[in-house]
Amino acid sequence: MKLLSVARLLARPAASGTATMVLPIVAFGVSTALLLTTLAGALSFFRWHGETGFLYQVLAILASALLIVPLASLGGSAARLSARRRDDRLATLRLLGATTGFVARLTVLESMVLALVGALGGTVLYLALTPLVGLIPFRGEPIGAAALLLNPLIVAGVIVGIGLLAGISAVVGLRGVIVSPLGVRTKQAAPRMRWMRVVFGAIVLGIAVFSVSHPGLFGGVAVFIVMLVVAFVAANAVLGLAGPFVIRLFASSALRRASTPQRLLAARTTLESPKAAWRQVSGVSMTSFVAVFAGSALATASSVSAGEMDAQSRVLLTDLRTGVYITLAISFLMVACSVGVSQASAILDRRDLYVSLDRLGMPVTTMNAARVRAVLSPLRIVAIGSAVCAAALVLPLAGISMVLAPVSMLTIAASIVAGILVVWLAAAATRPVLRRVLAEPAKLAE
Amino acid sequence: MVLILEANALTKSYGDTHALAGVDLTIQAGEAVAIMGASGSGKTTLLHVLAGILAPDGGSVTLHATQPPLVISELGDAARSQLRREAFGFVFQQGLLIPELTAVENVALPLMLNGVPRAEAEQRAAAWLGALGLGGMEQRRIGQLSGGQAQRVAVARAQVIEPAVVFADEPTGALDSATSSDVMDALLGTTSARGRTLVVVTHDEGIAARCGRIVRLRDGRVVETRSKVADMEYIEGETR
Ligand SMILES: Nc1ncnc2c1ncn2[C@@H]1O[C@H](COP(=O)(O)OP(=O)(O)O)[C@@H](O)[C@H]1O
Ligand SMILES: [Mg+2]
Repeated sequence: MKLLSVARLLARPAASGTATMVLPIVAFGVSTALLLTTLAGALSFFRWHGETGFLYQVLAILASALLIVPLASLGGSAARLSARRRDDRLATLRLLGATTGFVARLTVLESMVLALVGALGGTVLYLALTPLVGLIPFRGEPIGAAALLLNPLIVAGVIVGIGLLAGISAVVGLRGVIVSPLGVRTKQAAPRMRWMRVVFGAIVLGIAVFSVSHPGLFGGVAVFIVMLVVAFVAANAVLGLAGPFVIRLFASSALRRASTPQRLLAARTTLESPKAAWRQVSGVSMTSFVAVFAGSALATASSVSAGEMDAQSRVLLTDLRTGVYITLAISFLMVACSVGVSQASAILDRRDLYVSLDRLGMPVTTMNAARVRAVLSPLRIVAIGSAVCAAALVLPLAGISMVLAPVSMLTIAASIVAGILVVWLAAAATRPVLRRVLAEPAKLAE
Repeated sequence: MVLILEANALTKSYGDTHALAGVDLTIQAGEAVAIMGASGSGKTTLLHVLAGILAPDGGSVTLHATQPPLVISELGDAARSQLRREAFGFVFQQGLLIPELTAVENVALPLMLNGVPRAEAEQRAAAWLGALGLGGMEQRRIGQLSGGQAQRVAVARAQVIEPAVVFADEPTGALDSATSSDVMDALLGTTSARGRTLVVVTHDEGIAARCGRIVRLRDGRVVETRSKVADMEYIEGETR
């Protein structure tokens, strides 16, 4: 009872500013909508049977697997965001005499409620989008909204699952905070990456490349596709290990060369947590990957002249292209959302610092330039680095001519440019948040 | 004495709250002025209006350090921002230093904002850190400094551009009394002791007593102004 009444008290907008509450809800909502839409799209392929039906299903699973990375990073930023709400008031609650257990229960409850509200909103968004998504043609005709309606049990499962995940991440996040109830973050030396991880990553990558380039060793198309999925997952794991390390290397060199305040700030921000920088843009590494694979696949397919192709193959080729573009588009959306959400929360999180910099006379344009640069520099490295890694994986499969074919290069370049543009837009879109924070310094704790 | 900052009939309201209800104040170059008063009496608002952080509803603030004098209260946002980074130094209650930057980078930042090349900015910043007893801590990050050390870094950051006026809002409010005294030494030693001007908001009578003049506010009005020379005994009696 007491728990609920305190929770209600803290949930009042005036208590903490609406933005800290709205942002995680929006983030959870967008994650849910994209997850449900992707799931519905993938499952709609399972209506079909026969040999090509099986192929479509495998491709749908592959595409979904690719989307797990950006989705996880979006969901993660939503969870972190709602966890941040806690830090502000934890100290107050503790000082008011609330027990650790009480604060913990309150925090978990709140995270779960925000996630559930977001998930419900996301479900509505997903339903609202089905007529639009249903227009996308596969096998020569639109999927149709009806085919995209998920079994209510699945939807309920997703909603509950998101609520539980938010609760779990709140519990995990709490452990660090209760140790220091005043929530005073003492930032020590910038964390260092371990060499071992990179070595380990390289070994895994080597195995992946080997198994992809020697499909004969394992035999069978199904096994080959499984190997392909494994290679994707492995490559992604490698990128996850090597990514932060490479980002750190580049940021260190940027730090040495930094000649303006915004470059200095951006490099230091990235170095503060290369892992966080990576997490923010890691979704793009997958799109780079997809772009390279898809580009080479399209180049290979179109190297067969249209006349030699039967009708079925032509449909398949068209659908393959559609699928590639959808996968790319969804991952860009996810990355953009997660960048927007984490940028907005980073501003709110450090509002007192931004207000003080404004008072010192730092131009808002400098603050924004530093923020955007701190996202875009790692993004550039990640997008290009991943494309190179993917090319290394694809080379044994498709050969150099396919990787370097115009269609292929065009797809890759367009994807990378689009990805960077979308992320830049998302980061730039958070400018009003900073402007509002600076316009209302009253909320700054005296 | 040379006039440096002049405020006339300042008013500032937040809704029904009259944070400033007609404040007149003149500050001479090289002076250390303490602004005192109960919580909510308008000290921070006055400091912010004087420093061009806030625009007053009525009245004017004029900076006499420039030729011709500059009416700060008539400047737009961008011009006031530029004035703050070029002519003023600030120390807040919590250092509000950038946690990702090292001590020397934090201090160099205002210089870099004014277009000083990084190497030179860091050199000058390091010299200030040394002067404030922080030699050898240049490469430390803010989290690796004590509260008093961080506050001295903030003092260095305020001084590094050689500002016309340094504004400090309860700079020792979060420190214990021994550390407060160190930070105040740093603040006074780098300002009035060198002929620079300091305006400091404080609750601490002991700290105010070290300033040349004390201005007391109540409900957005100046209720008392005392100079040290004239009121030495009064101040001492008060602190006992
Ligand atoms: N941004 C603001 N919005 C509304 N009221 C404010 C704001 N800033 C200050 N006030 C009010 O103005 C009065 C003076 O505030 P302030 O200058 O901060 O006082 P002090 O620094 O002496 O404690 C107080 O009543 C305070 O509540
Ligand atoms: Mg105040």
